[in-house]
Amino acid sequence: MDEVLLLTGLLAAGIRLATPIALAAIGETLAQRSGVINVGIEGIMLVGAFVAVLFTVEAGNPWTGLVAAIFAGGALGALHAYFTVRLKVEQIVSGIALLFLGLGLSGYGFRLTLAQGGEAVKVPGFSELDLFGLSGLPVVGPILFGQHALVYLTVLCALGLAWILARTRLGILIKAAGDYPAAVDAAGGSVDRIRFFCVSVGGMFAGAGGAFLSTAQLWGFVENMVAGRGFLAISCVVFARWNPLGAVLIALGFGIADAAQIRLQSYFPGVPYQFFVIVPYVVAIISLAVGSRSSQMPAALGIPFVHSR
Amino acid sequence: MKREATTAVVLLVLMVVAAILAAGANPLLLVAGIAERALFTRAGLLEALLRTIPLTVMGLGITIAFRARVFNIGMDGQLIAGSVVAVALAPLLPANAAGIALFLLLGVLGGALWGGIAGLIKARYGGNEIIVTIMLNYIAIQLLSWLVRGPLQESMRIIPRTDSIDKALRLPIIFEGTRIHLGLVIAAAMIILVAVLVRRSRFGFKLDVVGANEHAARYAGIDPRRIAGLVLLVSGAFAGLAGAVEISGLYGRLQEGFAPGFGITAIAVALVARLNPLLVPLAAFLFSLLYVGLGALARNGVVPFPLINILEGTVILLFLAGSVAFSRRRKVAEATDG
Repeated sequence: MDEVLLLTGLLAAGIRLATPIALAAIGETLAQRSGVINVGIEGIMLVGAFVAVLFTVEAGNPWTGLVAAIFAGGALGALHAYFTVRLKVEQIVSGIALLFLGLGLSGYGFRLTLAQGGEAVKVPGFSELDLFGLSGLPVVGPILFGQHALVYLTVLCALGLAWILARTRLGILIKAAGDYPAAVDAAGGSVDRIRFFCVSVGGMFAGAGGAFLSTAQLWGFVENMVAGRGFLAISCVVFARWNPLGAVLIALGFGIADAAQIRLQSYFPGVPYQFFVIVPYVVAIISLAVGSRSSQMPAALGIPFVHSR
Repeated sequence: MKREATTAVVLLVLMVVAAILAAGANPLLLVAGIAERALFTRAGLLEALLRTIPLTVMGLGITIAFRARVFNIGMDGQLIAGSVVAVALAPLLPANAAGIALFLLLGVLGGALWGGIAGLIKARYGGNEIIVTIMLNYIAIQLLSWLVRGPLQESMRIIPRTDSIDKALRLPIIFEGTRIHLGLVIAAAMIILVAVLVRRSRFGFKLDVVGANEHAARYAGIDPRRIAGLVLLVSGAFAGLAGAVEISGLYGRLQEGFAPGFGITAIAVALVARLNPLLVPLAAFLFSLLYVGLGALARNGVVPFPLINILEGTVILLFLAGSVAFSRRRKVAEATDG
């Protein structure tokens, strides 16, 4: 029974730890499918995490914080879109700039506001739900019915994006913008408009991922708290071959690895804790080594579209 | 497109001004304050010069990588790896000038090893170097945290840091009464080396071909992935050298966070220098002045220090927008004519 309890806890915590990565990965899948890489989502997540805490504290309600984080993420996504889609600059470099900007804006804003009192601010963050009163069920209860509301929304978003990409006209346009933009152009569509939209919405998802991190997973902001999750999200996208549902599953793998390393620390007090902390990062490197065959990569990923006439 | 680039520049400047105003500071006085602390005080100027040494060496490494469009953003980890290898093996080195050279060489090897891991994954499996180098950063930071509390901790076992390396392994001070060390000369030598490498060597040519067009490179018989792997190893070596120079020239021992964010700043340095090795030291010095000046003002509580990251990000975006405003028109004209 102990093993069952342990496994239940591991899975439930794994899902919680996976959610910020999954949200960012959904947004990055959308952006990359339309042909734009955003390596700055780490920076967007940081800003999302900070803004969410700030507005949650001000409004006393985590949903306000979430909405603010989504807006902030969308604004930074639009900034990346403006540079990569309108000005057609090198996407990677613009993404790196976004990373610095997010690091700076979140740290700067934090020190001007929440860090001022010197004391830790109480954050009225999200609590786990008790869906249909079933979270008390053994094993499946905490895993399926006792998660944060955002966890369920994340799964819905992934399903929604998968459906849009597979079944709708919009999805075809997005995929065409990423694979063969000239065709979209020839059919009278605007590649730039599609990409601008996808990168901005992608930023919103990263902002929401940051918000989850600072108002659901933890209740508070710490500088640089995203700690590489934005980059883990990008590796999810690559490893899942640009499939949103796959990306969420890979994120779940990272979440479980993270939950496992936290638990293993207490089982092996003789082993330095640093060796456990690096587990998700090592997993990411190995997954990139194993899973980087690029056959499914959007063909025009990273290439700005310029009218031929 | 030119007007759009101008719009972007205006918006970015407004954003920075708004950020400074939000802290209750006057943007003009802030700029004047930074210039005053960094440029017009002897201590500020010397500190900036000291910081220019590692930033130049690392900026040169980034220059090599980015010319081939290989985005090594893991220089912080490579710097740590180089420093760790050098300090760990320092007790085995002879206590003379040859020992110093070997110490630096060990730094180079350690950095090349850490960069080489990313290089191997890039060359063999095509794994995205941005993610791999960043992940290796986090791993290096954790391993350093363990080493300075474990096997490499000082013999007193109080503070998480290593023992000092032998005095004979320290780079000599070149200006009496300052902390400016021989690393300045090493950095200057590296500038020349990289300038020759980039402009006059086959390797430099290959970098530019791979950076310009991977398909063209393949037709020319160059394997872009192999070059990318090699580039990660080489730029890692520069980061490792910078780490060893910092230890040998400045700190004399290894501790956590001794080169905070240098790998990130080095990217801004290389981009502002437009990937021209001869401009790298100038850009490195400018960013060092900014860092020193802003650091002094931040300590006095004028503005929070993370403004430096906002400025680094903004400067990169400004240069991107600037390159559009000034060079795109010609390219578009060529495209429409051709």
